[in-house]
Amino acid sequence: MAEVTVIGRGTRVRGRVVGAASLEIQGHVDGDVSVEGDVTVDAEGLVGANVSGRRLVVRGAIKGDLSGSEAVVLEEGARVVGDVRAPRIAIAPGALVRGYVQTGSGEGRPRAAARPAVRAVPTPVKAAPKPAAAPAPVKVVAAPKPAPRTAPVALAGAAPPMGRSPAAPAATAPKGPPPPVVPALKKGAKGALNKKKAH
Amino acid sequence: MASTVIGAGITIDGEITADEDVVVHGTIRGKLTAKDAVTIEQGAVVEADVTGGAMVVAGAVTGNITSSDRVDLQSGAKVVGNVKASRITIADGAQFKGNVDMDV
Repeated sequence: MAEVTVIGRGTRVRGRVVGAASLEIQGHVDGDVSVEGDVTVDAEGLVGANVSGRRLVVRGAIKGDLSGSEAVVLEEGARVVGDVRAPRIAIAPGALVRGYVQTGSGEGRPRAAARPAVRAVPTPVKAAPKPAAAPAPVKVVAAPKPAPRTAPVALAGAAPPMGRSPAAPAATAPKGPPPPVVPALKKGAKGALNKKKAH
Repeated sequence: MASTVIGAGITIDGEITADEDVVVHGTIRGKLTAKDAVTIEQGAVVEADVTGGAMVVAGAVTGNITSSDRVDLQSGAKVVGNVKASRITIADGAQFKGNVDMDV
């Protein structure tokens, strides 16, 4: 009969709340909330630990991470100290947040966060070797001689700003853009090039 | 006045302290202390000591029940634990195992 669980205004829960139903918190909860349904924290609600659910609507105070599998909505009067992760996040004017806010797919997995960020970066790198040689930069080393000279230079310029992110797609993206690894020039390759040009 | 409703799909592991009525359909493990009435519906599983005002029990309770008012065990109730109340009714069909202390 009662589909929605209501933790009333005068109620204090010191412990974990888990379940498959939806939850409305008007009182205090000093423990993790991990439900499969929606969670609504009312204006008088106070949660002292992480909250995870499908759709979180917050009007009260939360000291902990918020993790919505569908959306997180922080309305006016919300006070959140902690990270907020959900595919869709809405922060209304008047809501207070202090923490890491991350939208997008993936439930806060760092790899999922790195992937969309890195995808944007390789495209300018791809543009550089394109006029030189269409296939992967690694293959460019074996391609006609003029190409290795231009491609590595362009990559060398672009690689440092990306830092460690190229390592992630190299390991985890099988069909994505080719790993923007700076192809190592064989020792004496430049010398051989100059020699050939001299001839 | 608002009341706390613990729905059927919810499990609470810990202490619950309420200033108001509590209606339990779900599962509670730990301790439940209410100031007012406590209703433990059929299907509820309470593995906790329950303290409160008037109580109506129709679910499964494993733990001591202390009431400042009355305790009604309805048919379908299954209580394993002591009951301390000033008034008590045990309906036909209720299962009960424990001491009864009526402050006599």
